[in-house]
Amino acid sequence: MTEDTQQYTEPTGGSQTRFEAVERPGQQLDQRVASTTPQHNAVPLQSASAQSEFCALDPRVIKLWRVTNLIGWGVILIVSLAGATIFALRNPEVMPWIFFTWPALFGLCGWLIYWRPRRLYRSWGYRVDDRVLETRSGLLFQVTRLLPLARVQHVDLQRGPLERTFGLSSLILHTAGTHEATTIIPGLEAGEAVRLRDHLVAVGGDDAV
Amino acid sequence: MQYEALPKPHGASDTPANIPATAEDQEGMPRVSATEQIIVSSPKQNADPRSKHRANGAIILEGRLHPATLAFAIYHSIRRLIIPVIPLFFFGNRIVTAVLLSLLIGASVVRAVVRYLTFSYRIEAGELITRQGILERTERHIPLERVQEIRIEQGVLHRLFGVVDASVETASGQGVEAQLSVLSRREAERLRQAVSNKALVQDAEGRSNLAADASAAERKRLHRLHLRDLVLAGLTSNHLVSAFVLMGTLWALVDDILPRDYYERTARAAHDQASSILAQGTQTALIVAGSGLLLLFLVSLLFSVIGSIVLFYGFTLSQSGENLHRSYGLLTRRVSSLPRRRIQVLEIKEGMLRRLLHLAALRADTAGNAAADQEEKKEGRDVLLPIVPRRELDALLPVIFTDLEPGPIVWTRVSKLAVVRDTIQGGLVCMIATGGMYWYNHDLFGLWPLILLPLVCGVSVLRYYNLGYMFRERYLYTRRGWLSRSTHIVPVRNAQTVTLRQSPVSRRLGLATLIVDTAGQSYTGGGPMISNLPLEEAQSLASTLAHRAAAMHYQW
Repeated sequence: MTEDTQQYTEPTGGSQTRFEAVERPGQQLDQRVASTTPQHNAVPLQSASAQSEFCALDPRVIKLWRVTNLIGWGVILIVSLAGATIFALRNPEVMPWIFFTWPALFGLCGWLIYWRPRRLYRSWGYRVDDRVLETRSGLLFQVTRLLPLARVQHVDLQRGPLERTFGLSSLILHTAGTHEATTIIPGLEAGEAVRLRDHLVAVGGDDAV
Repeated sequence: MQYEALPKPHGASDTPANIPATAEDQEGMPRVSATEQIIVSSPKQNADPRSKHRANGAIILEGRLHPATLAFAIYHSIRRLIIPVIPLFFFGNRIVTAVLLSLLIGASVVRAVVRYLTFSYRIEAGELITRQGILERTERHIPLERVQEIRIEQGVLHRLFGVVDASVETASGQGVEAQLSVLSRREAERLRQAVSNKALVQDAEGRSNLAADASAAERKRLHRLHLRDLVLAGLTSNHLVSAFVLMGTLWALVDDILPRDYYERTARAAHDQASSILAQGTQTALIVAGSGLLLLFLVSLLFSVIGSIVLFYGFTLSQSGENLHRSYGLLTRRVSSLPRRRIQVLEIKEGMLRRLLHLAALRADTAGNAAADQEEKKEGRDVLLPIVPRRELDALLPVIFTDLEPGPIVWTRVSKLAVVRDTIQGGLVCMIATGGMYWYNHDLFGLWPLILLPLVCGVSVLRYYNLGYMFRERYLYTRRGWLSRSTHIVPVRNAQTVTLRQSPVSRRLGLATLIVDTAGQSYTGGGPMISNLPLEEAQSLASTLAHRAAAMHYQW
C-alpha cells in the first residue's frame, strides 16, 4: 500500500503546500468541533458500529492518479521506448523484436496509467468509529490498517498543486510507532478531509500524549 | 535530606567479587559503599565542591563536567586524526603535517576548554537543564518524566581518571538527548539517582531534596550472570557470524601489512599442497578440508565466547522501585537505568541450541531507541538479559510487566495452511533458482535446487509448530521462527497501529498476517507479528486489539 500511496503523492510533493487551517487557528478545539458538527453529520462518518461499511475515496482521485501516473510512468515509457529503438537501430538483427517490445511496453504503461488507478480506487476504503480508524488498500498486496485514534500524534493535511486542481486533499496520520508510523488516506474531497481531520483530532485528542 | 546511597552503578559495592578491583578504581574517585550516606544538603560533604544544593531553592542538583574532559578531547581528536595522518607523515612534508596536526588538535582542545568552561547542568522543577556555549548559547530542558533511559559508561581510559560518560535518552527518536561526558563517578551517580527518583523530587515542597523512601532506594537484584553463563552464552549465540566478520576485519588489517606478492606465493603454495593432497586420494583431501573447517569453527567459537565475556562480564540486572538497572562489561563498564513502564515490547529470543538447553535471551525496546543502529547492539544495549534459563525468565516477566496476567501460556495455533503457504513460497524460490541454474548450465546438474523442495516442506512444518499467539486482556503474546524462535510480549496499551497484510498467495488461501506496531522496535527484531492467521480470525483479533488499545491510556 505504501508504495502505491507514495507513488501518488510524490509527484505533487515537490511543491508541497501544507493546507492552512480553514478554520481560524486560534479557536479552541471543542469550539471547532462544535462548529463542524452539523456539516460533519452530513458526511457519512460512521460512529460506534465496527460493522459499518467502508467509505470510498472521492472518485476524482482516479483522474488525479491517472495524471500523476502519466507523468511518472510516461517519462519511463518514453525513455524505454527510445532506448529500445536506438538499441534496435544499432543492432539490426533485433529489429523484429521491436514489434513485440513496443506494444508490450505500451500495453503495460497503458494499464498502469489508465486502468490501475480505477482498480486501486476500488481497493481503497476507510471507516472511522468512535475509537479506531481503519483503512484498507492495495491490489496485489492488500493492507488493512487499524489505528486507535488515541495514538495519533499529529495529522497532516496535504494538498499538492495537482490535488488542488482536482479539489482533493490527503490526510496523513502520524503515530509514535516505528515502521508503520504513518497512515495515509489519499484522495479525500477537500472539505471532507478537513472535517475528517477535525473529527479524528477531537476523538483522539484527549489521550494523545 | 539524607538518602541512602544506592549501590554503585558499577556493581562495585553489591558485587565485590564480580568486579575486578583495579588500581585505577582506587586512584580515581573514592567508592561509595552501599551503607555510606551522602548528605546532599551540605555541600562540604560532596566530593565535588562545584556541585551544590540549595535547601530552599528548586534546584535539586547542579554540576559541571569533570576537568578530565580536556584529556578526553585530546585523546578523541588524536584517535580521529591518526589514520589520515600516518600516510601524510610518511609520504608528505613532515613539517606541514606536524603544523597541521597541532592546529587540528589545538582547535579541538580549544573547543573542549570552551565546553568544559561553559557546560553546566542542573535539575530544577522536574527538569534536567543543560547549558553550554559562549556565542551561541544552548539551554536544553528535558522534563524528567520524559527521560527514557539513563546510561553510564566507563571505558578503560575513563577508569584511569575515575570518570564516566553519562547520556540521557528521551523518546525523541534521535537517540541521546543529553550527553554529559565526562563526569566524575560520584556526580554521575547522583545525577542518575536524581533522574530515577524524579517522583520523589517532585513531591518535595519547599525543601526539595533527594530524600528517597526506603522502598525506592532498596535495590533488589533480579538476575546475575556468572562466567559459566557467559561462556554458555558465547557458545550458543549466533555470534558465529560476527566472529567471522571480526576475522574478516583482522584479515583486512593484515592484508595492508603483507607484501603484495604474498597472495600469489600463498596461492601457488596452496595449489601445490592441494594437488599433492589430492594425489594421495580423495579421502585425505576430505579429511584435510574437514579439519580446516573444524578449526575455523572452533576459532569462531572461541571468538564468540571471548566477545560474550568481554561485553557482558559481571552482568547484573537489578530493580529499585520503578527502575531496572543493568550493569555489565569487562573493559568498558556500562550501566543503564530505565523505568520499567517505558518498555514497549519484550522479546524472548531462543536459538536452536538455546532451546535444547532451556535458555533464552531477553530483549526490550523503549520508545527512545527508534534510531538505534548496529553500533548500539555491539554495546549490548538491546539485551535486557543476554542469557537466562527459561524457568527463571518466567519468574522475571511479572517483575518487568507488573500487570501481566498470571497463568501459563497456551498458544493458539494459526491455520494449518501455513505449511502450504511457506512451501509455496520456498518452492517458488527453488524453482527460480533451478530455472537460473538450468538456463546457465543445460545439464541435469542444474536441477539440484529441486532436491531442496522436501527440505522446504519440512522446515515449513517445523515453522508452523512454532507459530502461535495468545491474546489476553492486557497482553498479546506472539511466537514465531524455528531456527531462531522469538516470542514477543506486548502490552495492548502500547499498540500504535495494527496492520493486516495479505500477499496474493495468502489471499488465495484465505490467510492474513497481523502486525502490531509499537514505538521503538529496533532491538526486538521487528516486533510482534502473527502470520498465517485465518482472515476472519485476524480481522476480529485486529479489531479487538485496536479498540482495546484505544480505550487504554498510553504511557511513554
